[in-house]
Amino acid sequence: MHLNLKNMDTSTLHKGDRFEHVFLNEPVDIHIIQEAGSTVKIHILNLPSLQEKNEERLNRIIIDQTGPNCTTEIYGLAYLQGEAKVTTETHVNHLVGEGKSDQLIKFVLEDQAQGRFLGELKIAPDAQKVESHQTNRNLVLSADAEMRTQPQLEIYADDVQASHGASTGQLDEAALFYMQQRGISKQKARQLLVNAFMMDVINTISEESLRENLINTLSLD
Amino acid sequence: MAKLLEIKNLHASIAGKEILRGVNLTINEGEVHAIMGRNGAGKSTLSAVLTGHPAYTVTEGSVLLRGKDLLAMEPEIRAREGVFLSFQYPVEIPGVSMTNFMRAAINEKRAYEGKEPLSAKEFLTLMREKRKLVEMADKLSNRSVNEGFSGGEKKKNEIFQMAMLEPCLSILDETDSGLDIDALRIVAEGVNRLKTPHNASIVITHYQRLLDYIVPDFVHVLADGQIIKTGDKSLALELEEHGYEHLT
Ligand SMILES: Nc1ncnc2c1ncn2[C@@H]1O[C@H](COP(=O)(O)OP(=O)(O)O)[C@@H](O)[C@H]1O
Ligand SMILES: [Mg+2]
Repeated sequence: MHLNLKNMDTSTLHKGDRFEHVFLNEPVDIHIIQEAGSTVKIHILNLPSLQEKNEERLNRIIIDQTGPNCTTEIYGLAYLQGEAKVTTETHVNHLVGEGKSDQLIKFVLEDQAQGRFLGELKIAPDAQKVESHQTNRNLVLSADAEMRTQPQLEIYADDVQASHGASTGQLDEAALFYMQQRGISKQKARQLLVNAFMMDVINTISEESLRENLINTLSLD
Repeated sequence: MAKLLEIKNLHASIAGKEILRGVNLTINEGEVHAIMGRNGAGKSTLSAVLTGHPAYTVTEGSVLLRGKDLLAMEPEIRAREGVFLSFQYPVEIPGVSMTNFMRAAINEKRAYEGKEPLSAKEFLTLMREKRKLVEMADKLSNRSVNEGFSGGEKKKNEIFQMAMLEPCLSILDETDSGLDIDALRIVAEGVNRLKTPHNASIVITHYQRLLDYIVPDFVHVLADGQIIKTGDKSLALELEEHGYEHLT
């Protein structure tokens, strides 16, 4: 299924259609209306060594599930250095029941980078049997970096499974020491932990060649 | 016999609290030293200080490894110089595979020694060979480091890593705790098979049970941050029978 995403307006994904795309350091500002049984799987990647250090960016995705049995998957990974500022906004609206949405959004922040995640999730009053998960995990590697997380959940239906979680932390000191005790330099140990943190987003990319490419470019293995 | 480790009047503290209060200990190549003592005596503190854990501050004293100032080295340099700690509580590292972790450890040590990295094939052969030593299941090396390992698997994994890295000084911190008798035997046999005339071990335990399997040349009792008594293996039996009370 091809959507014209160039002029961000609203695109409709018709009954049973599937839209899958990896936005790799591309601007993202899309609104997708999902009809019954349609599937969306989107990756938003802002990765270093592939992007300008100091850029500012807003990634925004709006999803309206307007028919039953829709699936929405949104994955985000931003690794920011220098003075980069990236905001990722997701607005997922379950307007009808029996839909699924899954979100995993991760930020890794170095230097003076600033990350912001705004995750708005609405489940309408009659949208029963919705299953919705939103997870935001952030790794802050420098005292000057800053992460802001704003989950906004508005759940009006009662028969739903909804979970959300957000956490921001540093590298695990015990793990770093354990690795150093085995002769691994602190720098390499940090790299292994950061890679591990990023891999579970990368691993969800369906297209194998792209996945392998990213793993190589970022030397994640 | 060549001197491997010389600890002199070692004082160390954590969070401003002095835990080690003048430890003296000399270890020669080929020796096995047991350190026993009550919970809280400072045994794990000694192993943390020897391996350079950043939470501890050495306030007095010196430690030489083969004549070199151990305390001046970064933790990873101490490791590459051959100091190995089998952790009392091995750390789980989700997302870092055993294979990548071990490859980094082996190749960084080799680079430090001026050697070429192992080829993929050599590395896997070495992994397989050393896994056998501790009867560790193949599948464990595809998993993340210690993640979801049982208590016994974690301890075996420590000895497996010790076998991979061939340290000159291994410190086994309560490697026996939480092991059933089979796992204990496997771990102890692994340790015994790794023994050479040129390496040495410090075996920390508060049960005499492990010392039936790994027979020490010396037994030291640590209490209140000092070694208060040293003897041969009969001291461990004595402690088992009479407890620590009659020593202090
Ligand atoms: N982070 C800490 N802050 C303050 N005291 C600590 C800390 N960690 C350990 N200790 C204290 O250090 C002492 C020695 O602990 P430890 O070396 O773990 O003993 P052992 O291994 O012999 O059981 C204990 O009294 C313990 O409470
Ligand atoms: Mg202890």
